[in-house]
Amino acid sequence: MRAIFNIARTTFGEAVRRKIILIILILGLAFIIITPGLGILSPRSERAAVTSLTLGLIQMTSALLAITLTIYLVPNEIDRRTIYTILCKPVRRYQFIWGKYLGAVATIGLMLLMMTLVLLAVFAFQFNDRGFNAAEAAELAKAPLMFFFQMSLLAAVAMFFSVWTSPIVNFFLTSGTYIAGTVFNGVFETLKESRSTSPILRALSEAVQAILPNFGRFQVQNAAVNPGQVIQSEAVYFGTAIGYALLYIVVMISLASVLFENREV
Amino acid sequence: MRSDINKPVWLGACAAGIAVCAALNQGVLHPLWVRNYAPKNLSVSSGLAPDQMLLALAGFREMVASILWVRADTYFDQGNYDAVLPIIRMVTWLDPKQIDVYSTGMWHIGYNFTDEQSRSDRRYLPSALALGAEGAKNNPETYEMYFETGWMWFHKINDQYDNAVTWFEKASEKSDIPPARRNMLSSAYQRAGQLDKSLKLYYDQLNKAEIAMKEQQDQVTAFTARQQRDTVEKNLDVFLVRMSQRGNFNADGTATELFDTQPPFDVGFSAEVSVIDAAVLRVRATWNVRPVGTRIRVILRDADYPNGTDAGMDFGASDSVNLDPPKNLTFMQDELFIRNRRADKKMDMSRDPTMYTFSKDKYYLDFYYNPRSAPPHIQDRFGFLGEGMTDKNYLNTTARNGERVIFHRMELTRDMLKREGEWIDKMPILRTPNFIEGSSTRTGEEELIKVPGLLNK
Repeated sequence: MRAIFNIARTTFGEAVRRKIILIILILGLAFIIITPGLGILSPRSERAAVTSLTLGLIQMTSALLAITLTIYLVPNEIDRRTIYTILCKPVRRYQFIWGKYLGAVATIGLMLLMMTLVLLAVFAFQFNDRGFNAAEAAELAKAPLMFFFQMSLLAAVAMFFSVWTSPIVNFFLTSGTYIAGTVFNGVFETLKESRSTSPILRALSEAVQAILPNFGRFQVQNAAVNPGQVIQSEAVYFGTAIGYALLYIVVMISLASVLFENREV
Repeated sequence: MRSDINKPVWLGACAAGIAVCAALNQGVLHPLWVRNYAPKNLSVSSGLAPDQMLLALAGFREMVASILWVRADTYFDQGNYDAVLPIIRMVTWLDPKQIDVYSTGMWHIGYNFTDEQSRSDRRYLPSALALGAEGAKNNPETYEMYFETGWMWFHKINDQYDNAVTWFEKASEKSDIPPARRNMLSSAYQRAGQLDKSLKLYYDQLNKAEIAMKEQQDQVTAFTARQQRDTVEKNLDVFLVRMSQRGNFNADGTATELFDTQPPFDVGFSAEVSVIDAAVLRVRATWNVRPVGTRIRVILRDADYPNGTDAGMDFGASDSVNLDPPKNLTFMQDELFIRNRRADKKMDMSRDPTMYTFSKDKYYLDFYYNPRSAPPHIQDRFGFLGEGMTDKNYLNTTARNGERVIFHRMELTRDMLKREGEWIDKMPILRTPNFIEGSSTRTGEEELIKVPGLLNK
């Protein structure tokens, strides 16, 4: 456990100093700050539009951070041959993978926290005169909280790919999985609901939607965008979604560990 | 350091883990997510450009909706009304909380599509009402779409007032409805024949307005509160005066038999319809009511128009928004404005072949007058519900479920309307039996009402 913690701490320290990560973060923060200016596009729905856009930006920035950060974690260690100095110590390979992964998750968590704090500050400034209070801030913060688990899952997927593909291939594989697990949910739903879809295609789309990591399940921002909705069994949903993420992460990292065991480095 | 991992066991455990995840996803998460967090419509719409589609699917639905709405405004300014329709649907699909889009869309669909003689294309009305109903369903926390839908029944359809009452009542149940909007419910009650409810609501409104005025006397809203109180008081006064003048003293607001509305006045309706050219009608009518203000509704429709009724259609029958009304159907509604007890109007449908396709063989031409929508000076004689109006030939109490209306139907064929077949050289003329030839023109100075100009000394 100590080995995992030490690797995670080192990974976190390296990650927060990487320029590309900082640039993505700064760009994300800048967009979040200027977004309220676009509220003029929807005069009576300004709050809804701004909430939707800022949360969407946080999600996209976090996804980009998670992918960019994770795809290089293992290949960099191999390319720079620093992995030998780690594996020659009493560190098992699965500990190395878990340590790397947890370090990445800690970094993503920190970045998400920063973006959430900026988001809340922007809302407090922009909507202070329209009754933005602590309860609404808490409601708003639920979305980034679920994004954290979404991005942790995404990082696990990237980690899984990183032990057997190059970073470039990994980037496209992970991005593709993320897109399939988020934006294609609507496509899958359409295929399932459409009467013209053949039974085979419908079964296939259901199977793919069930097996692929479903990142869309962590998109709970609709409640913050459209206040006043009656949310049923919220605690059950959040608990199940987090459990789903953790289980999937364990599976992904375990698979990564198994594959990494047999890899020549 | 390498560990002794039992690979098959691990892979099996991972497969089991993925199976559990799949079960959790489909069994627990999916239904709850759809119920709580999914946008109202998950399906993919084909009307979005690829970039918009990607943005919408990526979670930027509200922003895409706003951008589209800005574009719709541009189209509207350019007069490109047809282009606005799909955008309305798209925006309400992307962001069902955009109440302005629902209400503006309803208005646009219901009012802005007209023919060359400024007659609305009423084939759109069921869709406009369906859009309003959808907006109300998606925004049940506010009165707005309930009111807008009621307003379309009250003002645009201006008939079957029970529907307006239903929607205004739903709007009035919402806490955010402004008092001035709630006043509309009283007017709808009157037209629906529920005078007792109208009176009760006015008293209730007055009571609330007086309380609000006292509470707000030192606030910036004091003037508005006083205005509302004064408006309700004036409306109530006028209503009470009219009720007393028209003899509505029974407990339920119905009329006694001793006042100005009795005995019923025979309006002496008669009409003649000539098809003077292909898809061009000349309609002449007589109406023995001297004061101006009578508008007789004229409706020409396919005999088998879907959900067609006497002098209209069941506008509320549709529960889906179809922005492309069936092109092969014909439904024309116009009005005859009575001056000096006569009307003479040319109704030209020849310049709008897409709106009036005349693709069926048989057509109904209905004449319809409902005193419930008459102006007050005429209702003073006819009563709120037409109890002071009769017509020895065309009084009808079945067309509108017991309401006293004037109704007469003529039947035409496609050949007659298009001046084809046997009617190429022969003008089709249909008359009510009581129509007197030549009565459509002003026959004498003595029949004209001279209204002296106030500034003409």
